[in-house]
Amino acid sequence: MVTLNINGRAMSVEAANDSPLLWAIREQLQMTGTKFGCGAGLCGACTVHVNGEAVRSCQTAVGDVVGKKVTTIEGLSAKGDHPLQKAWIAEQVPQCGYCQSGQIMQAASLLAKNTNPTKDEIVAHMDGNLCRCMTYSRIQKAIMRAANEMRTASNSATERRAT
Amino acid sequence: MNSHVKMTELPSTDLSRRSFLVGAAASGLMLGYAAVPDARAATASAGNFEPSVWYSIAPDGIVTVTCGKADMGQHIASTMAQIVCEELGAKWSDMRVSLASNDPKFNDPVLGAQITGGSWSTMMNFDAMSRAGAAGRIALTEAAATMMGLPPYYKDELVVRESVISHPKSKKQVSFADVVKSGKATKTFTPDELKAIKLKTPDQYTLIGVSVPQLDIPSKTNGTAKYGIDVMLPGMVYGKIVTPPVRYGATVKSVDDADARKVPGFIKAVILDDKTGTTTGWVVAVANTYAEARKAADALKITYDGGPNAKLSSQSLLDEAKRLQGLDDSGQFFVKNGDTAVAFGTAAKLMEAEYTTNINIHAPMEPMNATAEFKGDILHIYSGNQFATRSGAIAAGAAGIDPKYVVMHQTWLGGGFGRRLDADMMVPAVQAAKAVGKPVKVIYSRENDMTMDFSRPLTYQKIKAGLDGDGKLVALNHDVVSAWPTQRWGIPDFLTPSVDKRGPLDSFTVNGADFFYTVPNHNVRAIKNEMAHNATPSGQLRSVAPGWTFWAVESMIDEIAHSVGKDPAQYRIEMLDGKGDNAGGAQRLRNTLLAAMGLAGYGTKQLAKGEGMGVACVSSQERKTASWTACVAHVAVSPAGEVKVKKLTVATDVGTQVHPDNIRAQVEGAALWGLSLALYEKATLKDGGIEQTNFDSYKPLRMSQLPEIAVSVIANGEPATGVGEPAVTVIAPAIGNAIFNAVGARIRALPITADAVKAAMKA
Repeated sequence: MVTLNINGRAMSVEAANDSPLLWAIREQLQMTGTKFGCGAGLCGACTVHVNGEAVRSCQTAVGDVVGKKVTTIEGLSAKGDHPLQKAWIAEQVPQCGYCQSGQIMQAASLLAKNTNPTKDEIVAHMDGNLCRCMTYSRIQKAIMRAANEMRTASNSATERRAT
Repeated sequence: MNSHVKMTELPSTDLSRRSFLVGAAASGLMLGYAAVPDARAATASAGNFEPSVWYSIAPDGIVTVTCGKADMGQHIASTMAQIVCEELGAKWSDMRVSLASNDPKFNDPVLGAQITGGSWSTMMNFDAMSRAGAAGRIALTEAAATMMGLPPYYKDELVVRESVISHPKSKKQVSFADVVKSGKATKTFTPDELKAIKLKTPDQYTLIGVSVPQLDIPSKTNGTAKYGIDVMLPGMVYGKIVTPPVRYGATVKSVDDADARKVPGFIKAVILDDKTGTTTGWVVAVANTYAEARKAADALKITYDGGPNAKLSSQSLLDEAKRLQGLDDSGQFFVKNGDTAVAFGTAAKLMEAEYTTNINIHAPMEPMNATAEFKGDILHIYSGNQFATRSGAIAAGAAGIDPKYVVMHQTWLGGGFGRRLDADMMVPAVQAAKAVGKPVKVIYSRENDMTMDFSRPLTYQKIKAGLDGDGKLVALNHDVVSAWPTQRWGIPDFLTPSVDKRGPLDSFTVNGADFFYTVPNHNVRAIKNEMAHNATPSGQLRSVAPGWTFWAVESMIDEIAHSVGKDPAQYRIEMLDGKGDNAGGAQRLRNTLLAAMGLAGYGTKQLAKGEGMGVACVSSQERKTASWTACVAHVAVSPAGEVKVKKLTVATDVGTQVHPDNIRAQVEGAALWGLSLALYEKATLKDGGIEQTNFDSYKPLRMSQLPEIAVSVIANGEPATGVGEPAVTVIAPAIGNAIFNAVGARIRALPITADAVKAAMKA
């Protein structure tokens, strides 16, 4: 039995230390928003955050995240209203949708550090995430939209503090 | 024309048109879902109003549309709801969707089966969903008239809008919810009554043509959308398949599970006994968790007999294709107009060229999977699938039971692209569940998924053209050699009679070759590459035949135009004269090509050295179901032969737009598939096996490879056509033609490589 911190809660999983985090999350915790795509870190469908960094959960051993904070798509926001999730709906990004949890988690790790990314920075950060439906241009637009919303929100917060 | 498509009759509803199911029954694929005792209960909920099998309205006014089509990202469930909603008069926010089981009552009204493909869904369901919606509105309105105390003859004064029925004269109104709660809406419709309903005319539409929020999208941003791979059943265990090194034809000689038995959680290794012939030489390792099943699978020591295909390679398949093409009596004719032999004899100029495409893999992001559970007499299958009618029968065949005892539970598909028309994943799930007496979820690894794909086949095409003294194309022989993906299904109704009466042919290998250019002498010969058919069982990959036939046709037309010193776009326009059978379609295609040219600045923009624009135009998918599509590709080619696609301008005539934003999304996705197949995706066969195993060796387009793309949609009021596939087919030839205009290199093999471009530049 291993205890993990997933989405801010302590959760116990029965899994070997060397088994992939992906399957512990999906099967044992039955949080199926994180997807299996390639099992080799080549597609990004299984992306989660470990201590805020985007990692491929298919390449991350359960034992390696003990004592660290794991965030999945289910825990990205309380009500599915992270600026990226809202932007994904506004831009009507998903087609089949299967890669989109990973895309959103990957993008969230970018915007957590940089709310004013250039197009090139977005491409560099997102290029490891495959979308077989080829929704790439909408993903770019949605990231730009979310970044804009985050900047606006933080500017108005700054203004409020100033007055 | 393919026998399954009866487009001329489409605008009217004919609920008796179940011809496909009759054909399917003859092949042993009839489903008796209705005989399953526990399967129908879920659909009838007390207090709901069900004006049609396609939807029900709950007492709270929520309208749930059951979608009989597989939703693999084309948002077809939402589209069906939108068509119903238009005629019903409901509020969009009241609409919900559910996915149909394999109950035949949810069969496609035109195809008479549950199959999703061909870019057919919108065009073939538009009328039936419209009538279903209108029937509900009529029933609700009549009940509302009674509730408001109006005599029935006042019902024409009622206004239905946003789920509310109002009578402006008396200022009375009731909501759909009120009517359903009252239980007064009970009217039912016979097929004849449905047919007689007068539908809205396009000028009355308030929802068709509006980009309403897709109903499935929110669930695809927060992890709650459920795909086949997400199904969880009590007591379920997991299966990981072990597949042989040979794509098809291997058999298992021995399985040593000594090491697997040391893996904690390991339950059993099951050697598949697949009487359906879908799989060969597969073993499933079953364990308590998927991680354990993978470990156990890796620990199995299996020996194989490689079978008859174990020495074959892509080169063998191509050599065989060339041999077959060289025979005078091979194949069957799909088109035979005029007399090409005579015309070649008198032609002023003859040209010949060969075009090839390599094997391509679907690789949807959700790897193949299926969950099987035996419950009493019933076999339950949970798997996102595009062809419930056939897949249920394959599952039954794998279980050794009558297909009527199979219930297919549909989910969202994590990509389809034609891959989920096939049912191989049912076989290991069913046989493992049977062997261990528990529900089993089988998940392919990406390596299993890629090496066992029902791929787009390797194709070889040869075209011979005859020109008259004015440079006009007067004769064309077009031979298409490939595996036959649709014949593999064993369903006669999906085949097409050959025009030379030599038996049915698989038109899904030659569609598109029957183009809309006026060429007086024209032969298209479909030649089955039996070796490829056996060694690389092929499937329907997004756009199917037009993905290769237009590569050949649209490249060749370009070559011909250049050889007689004409602008390739102008040359096409002259041949799109709309004579004879080409009337209507040719003009629409011409207009679409002109639109793309105008939008791209074809012939007007000054391009830098090493850059070029190329055009192509297509009538994909089939002559009777075409979305008229044209592309201008703008490329830059480096001296080393590297091709950078700077911009793709795509115009498409879809008749009527149900959801403009979705059409743009689909056309863009399809065009990028076309680009990915043109430049990046290549699979190869070696020693009978597919060499590419994951996304490091099979490389679909990534974000960094995205060109500028402009999509323009022409909606001229003709009936709605499909958009999931056609734009795939126009891209490769447009790029090839652009490369020629940029650097004079003519490429005839897909995918296009820098080496090939460089070599052709020197030639």
